[in-house]
Amino acid sequence: MLEVDAVTKHYRTRRGTVRAVEGVSFTVPKRGTLALVGESGCGKTTIAKMVLLLEIPTAGVIRFEGQDIATMARPALRSYRRRVQAVFQDPYASLNPRLRVGRIIAEPILAHERPGRTALDKRIAEVLDIVGLPAAAARLYPHEFSGGQRQRIAIARALAPRPELMVLDEPVSALDVSIRAQVLNLLQDIQAEYGLTYLIIAHDLALVQHFSSAVAVIYLGRVAEAGPTGPVFADPRHPYTQALLAAVPLPDPDHVLSEAAAAGEIASALNPPSGCSFHPRCPHAFAPCSVDVPPPYRLAADHVAACHLLKEALP
Amino acid sequence: MTVRRRIPLWLRGVPWLALLVLAVVGICAIGGDDILPADPNQLNLADAFRPPFWAANGSVDNPLGTDNLGRDILSRILAGSRISVIVAAYAIVFSGGIGALAGLVAGYFGGVVDAVLMRLIEIQQSIPSIALALIIAAALEPGLSTVIFVIVLTYWAWYARIIRGEVMTLKGRDYIAFARVAGVGTPTILMRHLLPNIFNTLIVLATLQVGQVILFEASLSFLGLGIQQPDISWGLMLADARQYITNAWWAITMPGIAIMLTCLSANVFGDWLRDRLDPRLRQL
Amino acid sequence: MLLQVDQLRMYLHLRRGVLRAVDGISLHVNEAETLGLVGESGSGKTMTGLAMLRLLPRDAGRIESGSIALDGRDLTTLTETEMVREIRGRRIAMIMQDPMTSLNPVFSVGDQVGAPLRYHDIARGAVLRSSVIDVLRRVRLPSPEQRLGDYPHQFSGGQRQRIVTAMAIGCTPRLLIADEPTTALDVTIQVQIIALLKRIQQDAGLGIVLITHDLGVAASLCHRIAVMYAGQIVETAPVRAIYRSPAHPYTQALLAAIPRLHATAKRLTAIPGQPPSLIDPPAGCRFAARCPHRMARCTEPPPMVDLGDGHSAACWKLAA
Repeated sequence: MLEVDAVTKHYRTRRGTVRAVEGVSFTVPKRGTLALVGESGCGKTTIAKMVLLLEIPTAGVIRFEGQDIATMARPALRSYRRRVQAVFQDPYASLNPRLRVGRIIAEPILAHERPGRTALDKRIAEVLDIVGLPAAAARLYPHEFSGGQRQRIAIARALAPRPELMVLDEPVSALDVSIRAQVLNLLQDIQAEYGLTYLIIAHDLALVQHFSSAVAVIYLGRVAEAGPTGPVFADPRHPYTQALLAAVPLPDPDHVLSEAAAAGEIASALNPPSGCSFHPRCPHAFAPCSVDVPPPYRLAADHVAACHLLKEALP
Repeated sequence: MTVRRRIPLWLRGVPWLALLVLAVVGICAIGGDDILPADPNQLNLADAFRPPFWAANGSVDNPLGTDNLGRDILSRILAGSRISVIVAAYAIVFSGGIGALAGLVAGYFGGVVDAVLMRLIEIQQSIPSIALALIIAAALEPGLSTVIFVIVLTYWAWYARIIRGEVMTLKGRDYIAFARVAGVGTPTILMRHLLPNIFNTLIVLATLQVGQVILFEASLSFLGLGIQQPDISWGLMLADARQYITNAWWAITMPGIAIMLTCLSANVFGDWLRDRLDPRLRQL
Repeated sequence: MLLQVDQLRMYLHLRRGVLRAVDGISLHVNEAETLGLVGESGSGKTMTGLAMLRLLPRDAGRIESGSIALDGRDLTTLTETEMVREIRGRRIAMIMQDPMTSLNPVFSVGDQVGAPLRYHDIARGAVLRSSVIDVLRRVRLPSPEQRLGDYPHQFSGGQRQRIVTAMAIGCTPRLLIADEPTTALDVTIQVQIIALLKRIQQDAGLGIVLITHDLGVAASLCHRIAVMYAGQIVETAPVRAIYRSPAHPYTQALLAAIPRLHATAKRLTAIPGQPPSLIDPPAGCRFAARCPHRMARCTEPPPMVDLGDGHSAACWKLAA
């Protein structure tokens, strides 16, 4: 449904060019969930912004159902804006504190249609019900709700115009552990019920494995590894994916965390290392790693990893 | 035991005194001549230079004394509040309105629009306001509208700069991003999302401006560039009484105190308002 | 026993009422041991940490009752001056969550790491400089000699957390309170900081109180864990017991609610409802409203039941 094709984004700043995203490609299958995983500064938020047309790619194409979203005509653009919605990370900053909840939820509907008062109220009540909030909530202000409830309101808002694709930017990171489960379950339920496609940005690998069917691991603006969640997590082929997985502290006292998997600091997008951007931290780095940028080697039908080590392993 | 006992009342509570002063000023402004103790324009040369009622020659008929033409100073002060309020109201509404609009547009759109506006602001703020007033008063006739015009021209930039900063902070907020994602048009974003959220800042700014505007008007009138006789303005009273300062100190001091009290009250009120509105916003 | 907290109550006196942030908690930490204080936001864990150092909001926060004994000495009886001179930074140190704001941006790193040493008269002059370099080396900050004059913004998040740790351990404290030290860090950096904390604990016999909401981080660092809910400790146990055989329904629910790597469960068990208000908390068990095992008895405050081997939980279900 959504195809990101060799997308690049550079920002020109006083200190130089920030290479936020470099040649990233992945596809989000219809009704599936793709997770963009990476640490801070890897560019995953920038990719999300480009998908939401909040930023324009410097190079590359993003296609929605085959159409390039950057060159769409007015009517197609309006349709895109209705069919693609977003839920953001911070439940305290994503709702306008001066508007009532009902008006907040109505916003995306009103941007595209002119329903009558009763019809609108009915839709608001419907969507509030879907997220588990009472219809009376529409008359209240955001500050009267808790973080978890606000995130539900944000989900209701995104659901209101009956979208097909939802971009979820760290939707539960700012919530308490016990509330996270509630919201994640809700997201899964509405995906099943309405056949939604999700693009989720996350840094919590356990969450990603639980929630998404496909994953793209991003490091410093490039795709390190991408594929279905199962194979990528069970048998990661890129050293960065391996390092990430090894670094996750499990709720198991006997699990040993390995410090050696990813030594050093995350490099800066202003001045990325030559060749493979992970090579200074990689325990397996060898000669070509500092010279050539590894292309994505195909390991299986939809599983790729950009690592020179795989060159020999594959025909 | 509650917290209230430990914080001094004047910090936590409503500024009653300030509100009282402002209320008096406000009432006099709307009240008209009838509520004044005496006719502010009534000449009475025999009674000239009568000191305030607590001094040797004073009488309760003229509680704050009389000026060089025997006019009751208290009544003149109360009448003068009218000008102050009118000037403050018009000047703040216009400078605040223009400034806020400019700040909104510059802050949201950035780029060239912002650059142009910033240059305008910088130019405007580097011209001394009195010099500006002189030039304009020379071009136009001195009077109420000139005063308002000069004040608006001087102060719009101040509002614009602060509102621009607010808007630049706000436009990064997720709910703005969401509105764009949802396809909401830019004018709607500006009106629906940005304006209500800068409103509190605007109100506080306006309140804090009251004192400044009154002082400015008083200065202009003092210099002869503002209100002209026979209209009454505190600044004009100061100008008239300046030469008599040695033998009739009350004539200049009383209007001076009036100016000071009003500005102080406006500032205290503005500060309190800012404290009241801000933390609640944070809670929101 | 290095630290013994007994029935500590700390309330915040706010305009809208009295917030019972820490309501009768008892815990202890031994030397060279890490106690995890695990809970969600509003559980009182950060407040407990601050209360131990008596770093409470000046007007509002007050220790109502209870004792905090460090090496036998009750900290609640000390004056502020004594706390400043002898305890804070010297015997008990604290590192906080956000490395971006923990360091003062206008002072060099050398200055800041040296400040506690200077203040507590540990070292001066040339000795100070070498002590600073030494402690920075202990936290594995690369090339400390060259970086003494650098400012915080010239370091990454992980490096800043190392610097903050150096500030904390410089005076060889007996106890370190670490409040969510890795929450703001990336996972590959988090691993490094966890290893760092383990190492300095082994080297110096340091007791650590780790305040966190992350059950994974707690599992990798702690020897014992105390689970907090709504201002009270609901369960305390050695780390394996908490994860293998949690006794309190809240602990069980918490463990069931988190997604785990390489697990098969396709649906997380959510905990319905919300934590109670701490201004007017329920009289009995504070978790009762959300507890799947709620009984009639739960309207009374549950006793802390000793389950043996250092494992205890406050639940009526276990009292029978």
